[in-house]
Amino acid sequence: MTGAVAVADAPLSAASRLMRLRRIDLIGALVTLATLLGAVVWAFPLYWGLVTTFKPETEIVQPGVQLWPRDFTFENYANVLTQTKIGLWYLNSLITSGAVTIIVVAMAASAGYAISQLQFPGRRFFWAMILASFMVPIPALIVNHFVLMSQFGWVNTLQGVVAPQLIAPVTVIIYKQFFDQMPKDFREAAKMDGANEFQLLFRIYLPMNWGVTTALAIITFIAAWNLFLWPFLAVSSEEKLNVAVGITQVHDAFGVQYGRDLAVAMLAALPVAVVYLLFQRRVTQAIMLSAGIKG
Amino acid sequence: MLKSKRAEYFAAAVLMAPFVVIYAVLFVYPTIKMVELSFTNAPLIGPGRWVGIDNYWRLATERLFPTALWNTIYFVILSALPSTLLALFVALGVNRLKGWTQSVVLAAFFLPYILPVSVVFRIWDWMFDHDFGIAQYLIAPLNGGQRLSVFRTVPLFMPMVALVTIWWLMGFNVLLFIAGLRNISTEIYEAARLDGATRWAQFKRITWPLIWPVTVLVLTIQLILQFKIFDQVYLFTQGGYRVDTTMVMVQYIYRQAFQLNKGGLAASASVVLFVLIAVMSVLQYQLLRVRAQR
Amino acid sequence: MSPHAAPHVELRRVTKRYGAFTAISDLSLTVDKGSFTALLGPSGCGKSTLLRMIAGLEPITAGQCFINGAEVTDVDPAKRRIAMVFQSYALYPHMTVRQNIAFSLSIAGASRKEQDARTQEVARILQLEDYLDRRPAELSGGQRQRVAIGRALVRKPEVFLFDEPLSNLDAKLRVQMRLELAKLHAALHSTMIYVTHDQTEAMTLADKIVVLDRGRVAQIGSPLELYNRPANKFVAAFIGSPSMNFFRVGLTAVEEKTASVALPGGRTARVGLGAPPAFAEATVDLGVRPEHLSLVDTHDAEAALSGRIGIVENLGNLTLLYVDTPAGQLIVEGPGDVGSKKGDLVGLKFSAANARLFGADGATL
Repeated sequence: MTGAVAVADAPLSAASRLMRLRRIDLIGALVTLATLLGAVVWAFPLYWGLVTTFKPETEIVQPGVQLWPRDFTFENYANVLTQTKIGLWYLNSLITSGAVTIIVVAMAASAGYAISQLQFPGRRFFWAMILASFMVPIPALIVNHFVLMSQFGWVNTLQGVVAPQLIAPVTVIIYKQFFDQMPKDFREAAKMDGANEFQLLFRIYLPMNWGVTTALAIITFIAAWNLFLWPFLAVSSEEKLNVAVGITQVHDAFGVQYGRDLAVAMLAALPVAVVYLLFQRRVTQAIMLSAGIKG
Repeated sequence: MLKSKRAEYFAAAVLMAPFVVIYAVLFVYPTIKMVELSFTNAPLIGPGRWVGIDNYWRLATERLFPTALWNTIYFVILSALPSTLLALFVALGVNRLKGWTQSVVLAAFFLPYILPVSVVFRIWDWMFDHDFGIAQYLIAPLNGGQRLSVFRTVPLFMPMVALVTIWWLMGFNVLLFIAGLRNISTEIYEAARLDGATRWAQFKRITWPLIWPVTVLVLTIQLILQFKIFDQVYLFTQGGYRVDTTMVMVQYIYRQAFQLNKGGLAASASVVLFVLIAVMSVLQYQLLRVRAQR
Repeated sequence: MSPHAAPHVELRRVTKRYGAFTAISDLSLTVDKGSFTALLGPSGCGKSTLLRMIAGLEPITAGQCFINGAEVTDVDPAKRRIAMVFQSYALYPHMTVRQNIAFSLSIAGASRKEQDARTQEVARILQLEDYLDRRPAELSGGQRQRVAIGRALVRKPEVFLFDEPLSNLDAKLRVQMRLELAKLHAALHSTMIYVTHDQTEAMTLADKIVVLDRGRVAQIGSPLELYNRPANKFVAAFIGSPSMNFFRVGLTAVEEKTASVALPGGRTARVGLGAPPAFAEATVDLGVRPEHLSLVDTHDAEAALSGRIGIVENLGNLTLLYVDTPAGQLIVEGPGDVGSKKGDLVGLKFSAANARLFGADGATL
């Protein structure tokens, strides 16, 4: 059944309809109020964590709810930057996430293009394999990924962190869908102009789908930046950690210092938060796409 | 014709090569090896002896694995369903808002989703801190005036981790619901209002029939996602005691492989996880297909 | 236009099948150098398929294709020295007009200087100089059309192919672009092959029209040949607007160049014949164009048919009258001030030279 429209039992007089509308508006206002309240509640932990980082340790451990620092300070951040290896972790995260993003997008665009636009033996087989790998839980492969990386001698290296993250069937699927939708005329016009398949991909298909590429690149980068389990397993030395895992080590190494622990966490979140706030629309689009909803 | 066909094959080979190599080495090979390893008593690194289904038998008979399986299912129940329903309510509320208010409110609900899990852990660890956590002002009155270390209280552990997880990931669901709600034309609502439909009737007769497919999608995505729970449970039990009672499946695999050096046993647990999720994915796929045919 | 030019494009007994469906069957066609040839027919007649086979975009199932005397049946589209203007224009939305026009040169590895020079030249011919740095989305329909032509022009092709290039334009712009295309052809003297379902476009632009009917050539000829001497009922019906009137008549007598027919309603008429008669049918179809029917008094000796005017359409310069006769409803084209009105009883006459007879197989007698 689709869009069945409710019909009132009896026609209402204008006055009672007006009353009804007014009552409905009251309910509507309550719903809106609840939503706004919910948003405040939802944002509060993040705010509370953030505001704590600007308080000196002595103020942090005082009882009572202090919504704004009495004594605003950057001391915690200064401590983090001087006492921990966060700069190095940042660099590691940047290198590994950047590498994952570039390789995944390039590989997915190429494979998506070939499967969408070219006729070759095995095309259907590869497509079936991609659809199948969609349902494989990557955490189930950690043991054998680790074994494989140790065979390569890649344990505790950045390439070892990158490699298992390159399995990204969704990205291929999305590219294929977008390339499928391209009007055939562009392909034929370019072919008549003498373009080969590589020129078609890099000069026509990819630039014409630039929005999808940015969306996928951003979401891949965020996912790689945030990844915890695999880097946690693959890296054993502090020098090779990424930020997401690294910040949990601060606690281990220095004991409890709330302001500093939270400051390092906020620094870890900063890049992804900035990327999200700058590219909100693209992030939203990428999430819809990866869930199978056209954005 | 032949020449252009050859050129097409060549292009296809070049374009597919990176994908095929990466998938063969990092996906197909490890998967096969995982199954193979699960029938041996090998350590994490190094050769082992073929032991048949001994590992699987151990999983079924020893105490820890069934506990881990149950904890995982318990966590999925605690997180997937509530986060789906809550997201639906939030989406209905957010969908009423307009312009910049909507953007800000949506961002408030969504921002946690893009945070690294370790940041989420830090924030909530601080919120619930036994000595200085702000949440203790709510907890203490409920606990007879006593502060409570919620993550060290076994019956509360899973619900609390689920709560944190809902806070972290619900924004994703909200986004999908809002996309679904935006697909319903406002004219349908206007027509219903003119017909005198109450708010509840509008929801029951218009919104729900059009939004339930999205609900099914969100719920199945959440089920599959939450089954792979590890990070939050690991972080919140870090440095704690009684890890065994709150252990989940991926954590069991981690423990056997990386802490007890039992590669074979870990692999067999991986196979079980693999099969469970594959089955759920097939179900999800079927559901989506049924939906697409309607 | 050079007289008696050598065939520039030739299709020799080509067939195109899609599975069990035959789109083109055993078709042969030559296109002269420097000519403007239109492929005309209703949708689904195979005209676009034929063009795409010449372009090399559609593999030929059987038969051969020649361009400039060389066989190109299996040659890549890009290597046939042809250019095509697509119905949708297929302008690359992410490139400027300049980049769109220069795309083929850049693919071919031409120097930046050469690309610029040739783009400028094309832009000058098509009056696109002011728009070179805009993107297609910022252009009007007519400007996009010109860019699409420019993209073909820049390659200096031997043959231009047009696939219904004006069908996305509004009526007014279509007339204007039609004139510009005619001017372009006059200036370039290139061979142009033009697919359309619009007979006006074909009649005004082409010096040779190929009428296609379900994958076969119905007739090839100049616009006036098709109008005056249609080879069969299909062409007679397709060319001309409003369409030719047809009705059944009985043959009473056949002479050398004319035949006598019995018309519905009892009168007789004489109709010219193309070839000496060699047929046996007793009933044939008579076709006469609306513009060749004229109104007379019902009792006029020359009146072939009589009937009552059903509908009157005043188009200003002319009037279309729908007359209900014993032969069915016939369309009559009269002058703008015809003076007749709905309900009038009128007689219709036509001359022997302007009527055609068609046999049971549709061929003109």
